[in-house]
Amino acid sequence: MSIKLGIPVIDDVIDIPTGKVVTYCVDPEVEGDVFLMQTLHENSEKCKCTLVITNMSPMVARNRFKEFGWNINFPIVDAYSGLVGDLSNEKYVVKDPSNAEELSKIVEDAIKENDLVAINSLSTMIDLCGERIVEYFKSWGKLATINNSVLVVNFVAWPYDEKIINAVKACSNAIVKIGGVHHRVIIGQYYGLVKVDWTEVKKKLILFKVIKPGGVRAYIPKILVTGPYNAGKTTFIHAISNKAVSVDRLGTTVALDHGYVEYKGFTIDIFGTPGQERFDPLLKMLGGEAFGVIVVVDSTKPEDFPRAKEMLEKTTKFGLPYVIAANKQDLPNALHPEEIRKRMSLPTNTPIISMSAINGEGVYDVLDALLKILLG
Amino acid sequence: MNIKEMLEKILKDLRAVGDVDASAIVSRDGLLIAADIPQNINAEAFAAMTAAMLGAAETATSELGKGVPDRVIVEGKEGKIIATGAGSKALLVVMTNPKANLGLVLFKIGKASDKIKEVLK
Repeated sequence: MSIKLGIPVIDDVIDIPTGKVVTYCVDPEVEGDVFLMQTLHENSEKCKCTLVITNMSPMVARNRFKEFGWNINFPIVDAYSGLVGDLSNEKYVVKDPSNAEELSKIVEDAIKENDLVAINSLSTMIDLCGERIVEYFKSWGKLATINNSVLVVNFVAWPYDEKIINAVKACSNAIVKIGGVHHRVIIGQYYGLVKVDWTEVKKKLILFKVIKPGGVRAYIPKILVTGPYNAGKTTFIHAISNKAVSVDRLGTTVALDHGYVEYKGFTIDIFGTPGQERFDPLLKMLGGEAFGVIVVVDSTKPEDFPRAKEMLEKTTKFGLPYVIAANKQDLPNALHPEEIRKRMSLPTNTPIISMSAINGEGVYDVLDALLKILLG
Repeated sequence: MNIKEMLEKILKDLRAVGDVDASAIVSRDGLLIAADIPQNINAEAFAAMTAAMLGAAETATSELGKGVPDRVIVEGKEGKIIATGAGSKALLVVMTNPKANLGLVLFKIGKASDKIKEVLK
């Protein structure tokens, strides 16, 4: 048996076999506890789960889940109420959470009785019980292995002693790092697998956004959609977007299109350019800091292919990944993608995807093809 | 007098207001219809960019629930650019020197815009 973490992209790369310890290692300035919550939400219907809380009351925890549109329909290990002198009605109660022996005993019970035990947070336990809790953590991992359960832990990487941090890392079979992209202030947040000890995986960092309700979404800040006049760029953007805004005048885009896409655990911002040459000064502005480019061509108009190629060169100067969307495939005189490749003399590894933006056919294949290149 | 001459007359009258350096009538999709522009300015690019500017401003304000703006005014050290709609198909754009009396210029632009709308009907 194995479980999924419920995190976009990571789920495509690994399953968590039973008996493993997974640690979400969170930079202190990033709000990362949603990852652990999302893993619980993903699995709460599929197997027996429980959540160990040490830093908030069960009521606050339930409200946190509710903010994301999720329910806690599993038992809670309450290692908080005892600290503030509250009574607790939860299934598991730690009377004195600063007592490492008692805390450990109850966590062990939880591991024995459940398939997935989530601890939020290990750092609070270290603060309460001191370093020796790390030794207990090691034994919980072993107990999980024997009981075929999975232990998922939230660990906020405060500036602890190097020894503690290394010990926590050593006890974890897999580590997902969650951090901030700095540019004086935090301008973005990323996550990525930095350790997996049972299989080979490619390590890759992914930008993310947290949506309420919804949870963690991988985030692509900008995909550029360009191509010749009347190729169907605006139609394509409206076909794939949950919400799109266009600056259209007299049937053509004069400034830009903007689309917001939620797809396969991703949120993507899409920018469309005008197609006519008189707007070319805008291409560079709109193309700045794009992650990838989609060039839409009208498959029935080979005379426009040189223009498509020119726009491709104008927007992908820095080796940006790109795909070609062969639009208007619903028309009888549409050229086959391979014919388009020949006429545009594009390399054999450039994806050319058939689509009909007006019918919505193949539009997500185009997005899939670009995502595949972007995620390697 | 054909339509082109009428439009050029409207632009010439604008120039006579004073402080106006250049003006143009541009289709909403960014093509030049008529211009009273000095040689050193690329009229086609100027037309396309003002259409983009006004179009983007109109979409931005209507998306924010603030309706359609009357005009876009760009102020710089070297001068001002004022773009305003002139009917559903065209827009009027005027460049002035930096010290221009905006009250007078805007009044005249409003008049000119109404005339253009009638001529292009």
